[in-house]
Amino acid sequence: MTERDHQGSERVDVDRQTEHGPSNVELTGRQHQAERRAGIALAVAIVAGVGLFVVYFSGGQTQVEGILFAIAFGGLGVALGIWANHLLDAREVVEERHELTSGPAGRQAFEDALVEEVGPVIGRRSMLLKLLAGAGGALGLALLLPVLSLGPAPGNTLKVTPWRRGSRVVDEGGEPVQFNQVPENGFLTVFPEGHQGAADAQALLIHVRPGSLKLPADRMAGVPEGTHVAYSKICTHAGCPVGLYRAESQSLICPCHQSQFDVSDGARPFFGPAARPLPQLLLSVDEENILVAQGDFTEPVGPAFWDRGRR
Amino acid sequence: MRRTAILLGGVALLALLLTPATGAATARGAARAAAAGQPDSPALDARGRELYQNACASCHGPDPAGPSYYPRVPSLKNVGGAAAVDWAVRTGRMPWKDNKGPAIERGEPRFNDQDIRALVVYIGKAVGDAQIPDVDPARGNLQRGRGLYGQACAACHGMNGAGAALGGQNIAVSLQDVHPLDVAEAIKIGPGQMPVGGGLADYEFGTARSRQEVDDIAAYVESLRTTPYNRGGAPIGGKGPVPEGFVAWVIGLGLLVVAARWIAGRG
Amino acid sequence: MMVERSLKYLDERLGTASLARKTLRKVFPDHWSFLLGEIALFALVVLIFTGTFLTFFYTPSTREIVYDGPYAPLQGTHVSAAYDSVLRLSFEVRAGLLMRQTHHWAALVFLAAIVIHLCRIFFTGAFRRPRELNWLIGVLLLFLAMGEGFTGYSLPDDLLSGIGLRIFYSVTLAIPLVGTWVTYLLFGGEFPAGDVISRLFVFHVMLLPALLLGLVGVHIAILVLQKHTQFPGHGRTERNVVGKRLWPEQTFKSVSLLLFVTAILALLGGIAQINPVWQYGPFQPAAVTSPAQPDWYIGFLDGALRLGPPWDLNLWGFTISEVFWPAILFPGIAFGILTLWPWIERRFTKDRAEHHLLDRPRDTPVRTGIGAAGLMVFFIMFLEGGNDIFGVLLNVSVETITRTLQWGLLVAPIVTFLVTYWICKGLSRTRLRPAQVNAGVRLTRGPDGGYETVPLEPTSVDGDRTPAATGPHAE
Repeated sequence: MTERDHQGSERVDVDRQTEHGPSNVELTGRQHQAERRAGIALAVAIVAGVGLFVVYFSGGQTQVEGILFAIAFGGLGVALGIWANHLLDAREVVEERHELTSGPAGRQAFEDALVEEVGPVIGRRSMLLKLLAGAGGALGLALLLPVLSLGPAPGNTLKVTPWRRGSRVVDEGGEPVQFNQVPENGFLTVFPEGHQGAADAQALLIHVRPGSLKLPADRMAGVPEGTHVAYSKICTHAGCPVGLYRAESQSLICPCHQSQFDVSDGARPFFGPAARPLPQLLLSVDEENILVAQGDFTEPVGPAFWDRGRR
Repeated sequence: MRRTAILLGGVALLALLLTPATGAATARGAARAAAAGQPDSPALDARGRELYQNACASCHGPDPAGPSYYPRVPSLKNVGGAAAVDWAVRTGRMPWKDNKGPAIERGEPRFNDQDIRALVVYIGKAVGDAQIPDVDPARGNLQRGRGLYGQACAACHGMNGAGAALGGQNIAVSLQDVHPLDVAEAIKIGPGQMPVGGGLADYEFGTARSRQEVDDIAAYVESLRTTPYNRGGAPIGGKGPVPEGFVAWVIGLGLLVVAARWIAGRG
Repeated sequence: MMVERSLKYLDERLGTASLARKTLRKVFPDHWSFLLGEIALFALVVLIFTGTFLTFFYTPSTREIVYDGPYAPLQGTHVSAAYDSVLRLSFEVRAGLLMRQTHHWAALVFLAAIVIHLCRIFFTGAFRRPRELNWLIGVLLLFLAMGEGFTGYSLPDDLLSGIGLRIFYSVTLAIPLVGTWVTYLLFGGEFPAGDVISRLFVFHVMLLPALLLGLVGVHIAILVLQKHTQFPGHGRTERNVVGKRLWPEQTFKSVSLLLFVTAILALLGGIAQINPVWQYGPFQPAAVTSPAQPDWYIGFLDGALRLGPPWDLNLWGFTISEVFWPAILFPGIAFGILTLWPWIERRFTKDRAEHHLLDRPRDTPVRTGIGAAGLMVFFIMFLEGGNDIFGVLLNVSVETITRTLQWGLLVAPIVTFLVTYWICKGLSRTRLRPAQVNAGVRLTRGPDGGYETVPLEPTSVDGDRTPAATGPHAE
């Protein structure tokens, strides 16, 4: 409480606070109105609350539940807001700030306390301290060892996929894919037999229009009849499956960041953030007319990483 | 203060109502698909020729099976026959409207059912492919359809049919309000950048297996419109986190800032 | 009577009475923009309550099971146990979908409130001494919240969030030197490492909330210790704080705000569908859907990746991925500047004084301009993140949008700075300064009994923000 001296002014109290302004004792009319409004808000909240019971026990309905909760909470919120602004003896208060710092004297006292107690500990025991530091270091590093158990070493795994020479090409259901099975202008997601669904092995088989491919000779050797070409489906930018094939322009677009690859030109990126073409999977046809791979992809699939270019 | 609240409320309402109009297009499609079942006749063929000369020949050339007048306009010879005509005209894409953006827009068809049928009959005969797909979602298996859709269609059209931009002037349209016949015809003809067969492995029009697959996919596309699908409330366009973020800022935080200002009073 | 006895019980053992009394009488200033941080806090409260509910129903496992619930298109499909548990919660648990959607909306609003609160602190200079530490904690809270959100929406193991996880995997791979190791340790192997869902669960439910709550506690404690800042005005100085007491005024207001936050979030949770994972389907590594974006607060990274130039560096077989510039370097620099801002600004202003009075943004045109330019950079990234959606909406190709925004990134921040600087200067020149306008009058009574009103001179001039004490109790 503030103390008023006999002249009527106010003094700062024990919390270093001063109050300003008259008590609102003269606002009865407005207060009654405010009280009424708050009361209505609370009544509405009660009805909504009861309504929630009804809705819940009759099976529940997400939209109605949300609306009723909103009304119940909102009614309470409105009532308390009105109360805070109109029904409280809300005076403005001035509080003095205290010094945040302990000051040089305080800091000196702390230092003294620290040094005083620590002196005998440190003193001239430098050898002991050095060994302490060494033990702390060794133990600290050793405590990090379990972190290495969280995962395997990367090794070579980012650079190889399950595709091998002679792997039969199968679709997502495991069915071998025949040559000419995919209609012209069509495409299909394929895997090596035995590894359907394998994330790093996913490839797109595309039946392009005859004569439309412009690949160097060694790559064309992996395109049966010059029409069935296969590329890795993993975007070389950030790894999303590049599943959007535009048949008319024979190009692929990745939905994640809009990198666009020209299928006729070795899946070279011609727009967007991708820097490298999609690796090709060289194919041939076996004696049962099933498509088979000639080996793994021409380079490591997917996004770049530090040692990608090293064997 | 009050104005702000009303303004925000209005924006909120608008944002939540950015749902595709459901039902309207399919009702249209159903009516016209019914008309497609009518038997053809010489009168219909003649009417079709007349319509073609008036509305289509100026771009596609005097003979549907012959070359068009402009290099960017395809001849109707190999675009998919009668199914292509039915699809393009019924969905209002043809006759071509002047548009300034990507893709040829859908809209209200410019011809009535009879005339559409006439065009379909005439052009189908002229190019030698008069077949309209026979599709029935009720014959389709919903679960298999979902699987096929996920493999062949979802990359471009979105797993929930929301549609997406494909770069350049290409758009994969929203499938949240299309007629099953639209689906079947589009798979047959491969409009625009969409491949013939719609990305289905070993699609061949007329085979029992392909018809079953199309029925399955049509069943799934149908399910995109039914009630349990949007169980959570207003779909806000169904385009995912971008409109959701917009709603969170404008409606969520917006309303809360209004609330904070009211609570703080004359602070 | 009961209350009195309980209070006596506690006080005799803990000495609560005097501490509580002191605390309840603490004064907090009363501006609406000071409630923005509370909006974030209360969104966090909603997140904790709804999140706890969700934790009872969620299964953090990628074990494959066959879905046989009421959502017909997925019946018979192989899905992970995590995905199945989320579908069960959404379709078969009463009020489950409401809780899930409210939780997700609360996350979006939580981050929006943090950002707007950060802007308020920045533009009013509230980060200056002695509040630099709280600024650091606040920025750290922003990062923790982003992490919470990302791990949270990846838990259902649906197609859309799985694509996002793949991108995150590729970004960590792109870290030079140690990228492959960090990624393999974090995820547990080659993508899609089966362990990752359960690890995300640990982060989302245990590690990050613990850090978040601890730091929020420190954040508030420092605020209470140092007392809140205030705008300059009548009677407000660097040595005081003018406002209303914690009890009853501020308590009522804060509780009211809490109730409003809950109400709005519950409303959105009920009527606005968010993250309908049943539509996207379960995650499969070879499947993809369009459009594909992350939640808004990660959207700027998505946009940065879309804007990034296709330049990778190859040096003696070692590769720096093109992903490095937009996803590692840019956020590193941007957030580095953000984190160190109090010290960066101090280097240029040489202002080492304590500040408890806030700046009006127009009075610090350089800071305001830089802040606006920074916001513009992020805004451009957000726009690009949704370039395919805006493209369809505006009838413009994604290539056009991307090229425009790439140029925009070079030009717009500078333009924004200049325009903002010019606006600030203009507003300052008009001398519309409420601190001056309400200098007030003095009512005096003369010796003959008559009253006189004497208008007081505005004491604030350019730069001086400490009006002399005025009003009936002056002198």
